[in-house]
Amino acid sequence: MTAWFDVGLALMALGLAWRAIATRRAFDSTVAFVIYGLVLTIAWVRLGAYDVALTEAAVGSGLTGALLLGAAHRLERAPADEDRPSAPLRALLAVACAGVALGLGAVVLALPQVEPLQAVAAASAAEATGLLNPVNNVLMAFRAIDTVLEKMVLFAALVGVWSLAPDAAWGRRPGRRFPPAAEGPLTLFARVLPPVGVLIAAHLLWVGADAPGGAFQGATILAAMILLVRLAGLADAPPVSSRALRLLIVLGPAAFLGVGMAGVVLAGAPFAYPAAHAKAIILVVEFAMLVSVAATLALLVVGPPERAQAAP
Amino acid sequence: MAALMIWAAVAIAAIVAVGLVRVLCGPTRADSMMAAQLIGTGGIAVLLLIGVAAGAPAVVDVALALALLSAFAGVGFVLGGARR
Repeated sequence: MTAWFDVGLALMALGLAWRAIATRRAFDSTVAFVIYGLVLTIAWVRLGAYDVALTEAAVGSGLTGALLLGAAHRLERAPADEDRPSAPLRALLAVACAGVALGLGAVVLALPQVEPLQAVAAASAAEATGLLNPVNNVLMAFRAIDTVLEKMVLFAALVGVWSLAPDAAWGRRPGRRFPPAAEGPLTLFARVLPPVGVLIAAHLLWVGADAPGGAFQGATILAAMILLVRLAGLADAPPVSSRALRLLIVLGPAAFLGVGMAGVVLAGAPFAYPAAHAKAIILVVEFAMLVSVAATLALLVVGPPERAQAAP
Repeated sequence: MAALMIWAAVAIAAIVAVGLVRVLCGPTRADSMMAAQLIGTGGIAVLLLIGVAAGAPAVVDVALALALLSAFAGVGFVLGGARR
C-alpha cells in the first residue's frame, strides 16, 4: 500500500513539475510550483528526511510562492516580450537541459552506498556542542563558515534588489503601500495570526537544537508574519535608509562572524566554541540570525523602494 | 493502527488530488488558488497521519509550518495576484 502511495506521490511531483515548466502563464506556473513544494514536503517525510521536509515547507511552498506570485503579477503589467527564440536554439536548450537532468540522475544513481557526508561522525559528535540534532551540529559547528556565507548571500541578494530602486525613490519605503482594510476578516487575521507565528518561529528555533527545526525555518515563518501585517495595511515597511533597519539586517551575520572570530582566542580556532558554553553560544547566534534572516527575507519579498513621493 | 492511518492518508490524498483538475484547468484564477488551498489542507492532514504512523513527532512541526504559510499564501494571492 505504501509503495502505491509513494508511486502516486512521485507521479504527482513529476506532473506538477512538468506543468510548472510547460505552461506559458506565470500565474499557473506559480500555483503548480507551490503545490509541487507541498508534494515534495510529503515525499521528504516519506523518506524520513524531516529537516529537509521542514525547510521545503517553509521556504519552497510558503515564501517562494509569495515571491513568485508577486513577480508573476508584476510581469503581467509589464509589456509582453514577444521574441521567442528560434527553433534550433530552443532545440539546443532542450537538449542541454535534458543533458543536465540526465547527468544529475546518473550521478545520484552512481553515488557510493557508504555514508558520504560523515553523517555518523556528525551524529556521534553531538556531545561536543550539546546539540542533539546532527543537521544543526553540521550547520552551526562543523561547517559554520558555510552557514555564515549563506547568510551573506541573503544580504547580497537584498543589496541586489535594493539596487534596482530608481534614483528618485532611493532611501524611501520599499514596495507599495497597502491601504488599511476596513475592519474585516483580513484585519482580524493579520492581528490574530502573527502572535501564533512568532510563537511557532521561536519554537522551531528552540527545538532545532535537538530535533528538526532551526533559525532559517523559524525566520521564514516570522517573515511571512511581517508580510501579512503589511499586506493587511496595519503597518508599512520602514524606509530603506533607516539605520535601525540596517542594523537589524546586519545583526545576525555580524554576531555569527564575531563569535566565529572570538573562537580564535577562546577555543583556539576560527568558528570553534568553548565546549562548556557551546550550546548557549549557538542559541544566541541563532536567535540573532532568526531576527536578521526574517527581516531580510521579508524585505526581499517586498522589493526595492519605488515610490516617487514620500509616503504620508 | 499505523496501517489504518496510512490508509486514511492515501484516501485523503486521492480525494484531494482530484482538486488538481481545477488547478490545471480551473476557468478562473480563484478556482486554481482555492484548489491549491484545498490541496494544502489535505496535504497537512496526510502529513500528520503518516507522521504519527511513522512515529515521528517532528512531522507535527512541519504540518504547523505549512498550515501557517498556506494561510499566508491565500492572503498574498487575494491582495497581490488577483487584483488586476
